[in-house]
Amino acid sequence: MFGKKRVAIVGAGVTLFRRNLKETGKELSFHAAKMALEQAGMELRDIQSVVMGTAPDAFDGVHMKGEYLADGAGAYHKPYTRVFVGGGTGVFAPLAGWWHVASGKFDTCLVVCEEKMSSCYPHPQYAFTTIFDPILERPIGMNLIWIFALEMNRYMHKHNIKKEDIALVSVKNKRNALDNPIAQLAANITVEDVLNSEIMAWPVQRLDVSPTSDGAAAAVLVSEDIAKEVTDNPVWIDGVGWCIDSTYWTDRDLYYPDYVEYAARMAYKMAGIKNPPKEIDVAEPYDPFDYKELHHMEGLLLCKKGEAPKLTREGVTQRDGDLPTCPSGGLLGCGNPIAAAGMMKVCEIFWQLRGEAGKRQVPGDPRTGVAQAWGDLMQYGSVIVLRR
Amino acid sequence: MSLEKITNLFDARHWIGHMEADYRYTLGIAGERFFKEIKENARIMGAKCPKCGVVFVPPRLYCEKCFMKLEEWVDVGKRGEVYTYTIATIDIDGKKLEKPQIYALIKFEGAHGGLIHKIGETENVYIGMKVEAVFKPPSERKASINDIAYFKPVK
Repeated sequence: MFGKKRVAIVGAGVTLFRRNLKETGKELSFHAAKMALEQAGMELRDIQSVVMGTAPDAFDGVHMKGEYLADGAGAYHKPYTRVFVGGGTGVFAPLAGWWHVASGKFDTCLVVCEEKMSSCYPHPQYAFTTIFDPILERPIGMNLIWIFALEMNRYMHKHNIKKEDIALVSVKNKRNALDNPIAQLAANITVEDVLNSEIMAWPVQRLDVSPTSDGAAAAVLVSEDIAKEVTDNPVWIDGVGWCIDSTYWTDRDLYYPDYVEYAARMAYKMAGIKNPPKEIDVAEPYDPFDYKELHHMEGLLLCKKGEAPKLTREGVTQRDGDLPTCPSGGLLGCGNPIAAAGMMKVCEIFWQLRGEAGKRQVPGDPRTGVAQAWGDLMQYGSVIVLRR
Repeated sequence: MSLEKITNLFDARHWIGHMEADYRYTLGIAGERFFKEIKENARIMGAKCPKCGVVFVPPRLYCEKCFMKLEEWVDVGKRGEVYTYTIATIDIDGKKLEKPQIYALIKFEGAHGGLIHKIGETENVYIGMKVEAVFKPPSERKASINDIAYFKPVK
């Protein structure tokens, strides 16, 4: 066992994901936290520590938004920390929750992730213009879509991948989202719809991309002793991993996410996983773009480099396939409130392993699942392995 | 929670606010030298690690792997190769650009890293294409990455 205490998730909650919600970020945090506590059968007074995951301050438009959101996350008069690793935050926050409990310092930790991107108008893209190097990149007029286009193009070039195969991810995830009540962009679309959608920055088209969203997600983490008291169905955090690659994204081999592989190896080693494709029953890799699901499946060692498009084409990643991938509908179908989107993936794996995913439930009584997020300037990987 | 669908951002009761702050970014020690070479000599320089021998472009003060200070500078030439590219058709507001703009990551022979820049004088681009920096006239250079106007195909 790693740490002093084994750590379980005993409750989870996710709000609606929408382009524009009336609720403030605090209110969204409250809803998600309250749902997670209710599922755990616990009250705020049972919570000893709180971790908040939320991405750039510029979205909500409140500097130090960790402090601003604290009360909604249930942190009043409690040890409280905000963690932030860009898009990787949503899976990193439960990792931070894990070490709160695994260290033996706390028996319980409430992890809440929130994003209210609609505050930033006319489009939250504006907040992204200031994430680039101020000397080398901003004077060129960098835009987030462009750098993903550069990466996607390199990935396609390296493995000779067709856009048709990448579009299948968008088709699958948006269809999976039809069964998810939180989803913002659930739809039955075709590969042709993706290929005919507006070109934003070649090869990225409108339907290759997840939307911007408001939303929150939360989970209750407890030590083994408490888990046995409150539930018959704990889901264990058996592996955690995180890693950053070069901050010069121009230095990296853009066709392959090394940082995900390193984070995954760390998590698998801890969980005793030697053959990920065989031992993992359900996966939620980060999919803000359709090619990223493929990229991340490869980084998570769920298949060989360049093989993810083939698995997708063969239906292996469908909900009833051998390796169900993004059964939640992912970011492409559910929406992408950055930190909340990563945390939603952790919640989805939790529900899948407990057999509580309803119409989204993958068959075959899954026992082991992995969730992953990706962030900072395209070089941060955070990975969590959950087991029943 | 509220299930009301809001299609217009301004339909919910709101308050308009700003987070204004202006910034002045120093180029840094390595950056000053890199841009001085571009401005005064139209040269693209890299910095070489004394331990692993890797030449970094753009140059930096230290090697992130060996954690050594980089003091040897080398001219990597004006010519490079397109490592990957995108053809942008809309701007940051989602508005159509008047003319599509090609952006590429350009790598230089023998160097690690590369520069993001525009590709000009052509509408055709491909991975592996040889390109060359086109510098602005000396009087217009300001020690900025835009002292390079764009990269053009090598004929």
